[in-house]
Amino acid sequence: MNDYDKDSRGGGRGGAKGAAKGKDDKAGRRGGLFRRRRVCKFCVEKIDYVSYKDVKVLTPFIPERGKIQPRRISGTCAKHQRALQVAIKRARTLALIPYVTD
Amino acid sequence: MHRQYELVYIAMPDSTEEQLAELHQQVATVVDRFSGTIERTEMWGRRRLAYEINRQREGVYVLEILNGPGAMTTELDRRLRVLDIVMRHLIIRIDEVLAKETRTQTRRKAATVSRRLRRGLPAEPTEQELSRRKAEADDADGGDGFGEGDR
Repeated sequence: MNDYDKDSRGGGRGGAKGAAKGKDDKAGRRGGLFRRRRVCKFCVEKIDYVSYKDVKVLTPFIPERGKIQPRRISGTCAKHQRALQVAIKRARTLALIPYVTD
Repeated sequence: MHRQYELVYIAMPDSTEEQLAELHQQVATVVDRFSGTIERTEMWGRRRLAYEINRQREGVYVLEILNGPGAMTTELDRRLRVLDIVMRHLIIRIDEVLAKETRTQTRRKAATVSRRLRRGLPAEPTEQELSRRKAEADDADGGDGFGEGDR
C-alpha cells in the first residue's frame, strides 16, 4: 500500500513540476474557488468500525479505476482512512470490490 | 483462550445444497474439535464476484461467527485452502474491534449526557428536539449536495 501510494503521488508531483509554472498557479486558483470544507464522513456519521462487509459504505471511496481514494481528496481523517484501507483490502480479497477496473 | 472470529468463504456457484451443508458440517467439526462454538451462520447466497476467480463470475457467500482458540483458525485456514469447492475464504478476529466499538459508543453517549446535564437539559433529548433535528437533516439533504460531489 505504502509503495503504491508513494508511486502515484510521486507521479502526480512530477507531472505538475514538469508543466509550465502558469498551469500550477491556475490549479491553485481553481482549488481556491472550489474548495469546500472537508470533513471525515465516518466521524460525522459516528461509524466506529468500518466493516469490509458494507460495500455500500466503501464504494464512495473507490473511484472508477478501483484505487483507494486518497485522504487529501475524500477528507477522511487519518484514523478512519486507516480503517477504511484495511476494510477495502479485505473486501477485495473476497471479490466484493475489484482490484482494478479498466 | 477463546476469541471471536469471523469466517467468510465463497463456494463454487454450482455447488448444491448438500455440498454446502457438508461444507458447513466440516467447519463445525473442526470448530468442535477445538472446543469452540459457532455463534451464528449467515447465508449471503449467490453473489456476483467483482472479478473472476477460478473462471467463475459468481459465488455462494457464507459467513460464520466463531468462538474458539487461535489454533482453530490455523486449522480452518489449512482445510479450507485444500477444499476445491471453496474458492476463497477469509478469517479475521473481531472480538477486539467489536469491544472497541461498543466502548467508544458508550463513552460518547456518556459524554453527551454529561454535556447536556451541565447545560441544564434533561439527559435524553426531548421529542421536540428530535423532530426538529430530523427536519434539519432533511433540509440539508436536499440543500447544497454536500458530501456527494466531493467523492
